[in-house]
Amino acid sequence: MNSVFMRSPEGEVKEVEATTEKLTILMASGWHQVPAPTAAQKPVVVAEEEEQHG
Amino acid sequence: MANISELLNGWGFGKQTAIGTANLVATIWRHTNLNTKPWAKVPVNEDDRAEIGKGHEFPTQLFKSHYNMPAYELSKYASSEFLAWAMSFSMGNVAVSGSGPYTYTILPALGATNPTGLELPYFSFVQQIRPGGSAVLDEMLVGCAVKGWKLSIKNSPGRASAMCAVECVTTGQYTSPSGITLPAISTPHEFNAGMISALTFNGINYLTGGSAKQFVSMEASWENNFRPGFFPGSGSQDGYQIQGRFEWGDRAFAVQFVVRVQAGSTEYANLINLTTGTATFTMTRDANNSFTMLIQKMGFNVAELGNTDGIVTLQITGVQLYDPTNGMVTMTVTTPLQGICQ
Repeated sequence: MNSVFMRSPEGEVKEVEATTEKLTILMASGWHQVPAPTAAQKPVVVAEEEEQHG
Repeated sequence: MANISELLNGWGFGKQTAIGTANLVATIWRHTNLNTKPWAKVPVNEDDRAEIGKGHEFPTQLFKSHYNMPAYELSKYASSEFLAWAMSFSMGNVAVSGSGPYTYTILPALGATNPTGLELPYFSFVQQIRPGGSAVLDEMLVGCAVKGWKLSIKNSPGRASAMCAVECVTTGQYTSPSGITLPAISTPHEFNAGMISALTFNGINYLTGGSAKQFVSMEASWENNFRPGFFPGSGSQDGYQIQGRFEWGDRAFAVQFVVRVQAGSTEYANLINLTTGTATFTMTRDANNSFTMLIQKMGFNVAELGNTDGIVTLQITGVQLYDPTNGMVTMTVTTPLQGICQ
């Protein structure tokens, strides 16, 4: 399965299956592709939550 | 003196990191171009004829004004690489997947969520004639953008049956000599109209359905209607003001096609009943090279009866509606080339 990492306008990053149908729905609502996080990196969503809660 | 056939064109398949930062040579490809003109640079001067106090009405001095760079057309046979490039740079929201071939999913960027606001990706354009110590022409235009494109599918044989012309604009910033050694010329994976593998507009299958063999031609076009990019701080080149941005205005996506009329043709019915549906246009060369234009919601605005080479035809003007879930159009291009618009 081909997948890509997409970022929402609000900053959420998630890995999605790279099909036209799935990407279209996301991109039509403003999601953009971002580079895949490296193994050492935490997902952005988790990192933001940690920042908010200290 | 030099023949125009000596003109070499190269341009960024990758995007610039900023409007004033040129592509590195690793992200520049070299292609042929059916447009036989070089991209002209047009510096504009002004004079003082309107100013009183000179004792007469005649101009006495020249002043540098701005670079008024004309739009430039890249005209090519449609290929997977070139379509991926044209769609990506004209629409802006690009997702690429795969590890070779690469599949580019492209949608029009939204101003509210586009990381660069109303601006699309920029690229550099290199034009050279006999580059080197005694070059006739060697310059790199920096900060180019795709203003629009036209995809033409014709009822004819060969590569000319599937053409793509891309209109580009540039800021006026340039470097000369370019400092670029262009790579070997690319061999694009071209399409022709015989490779159309899906052709369904608004519920009518013109390829394998009851309307097979009915399709004659199609023209699809995109126009970004850029706003002028002169503003305080937009920059200068040789003392002339240059443009510092290209922001899209009211973008327009047009589709027209011609079909043969036959008994039971439903185009009129679709028009007067305000019927809408998806439109899918696909060209498939092989597993590594394909192009799909998926219009999410198409209706018919005009269905004009006429004739094409003696056959009764309808010229249909589509109206492409914005779907709240899927947007207006999705371009999906599979090509062996990595890094387009990245």
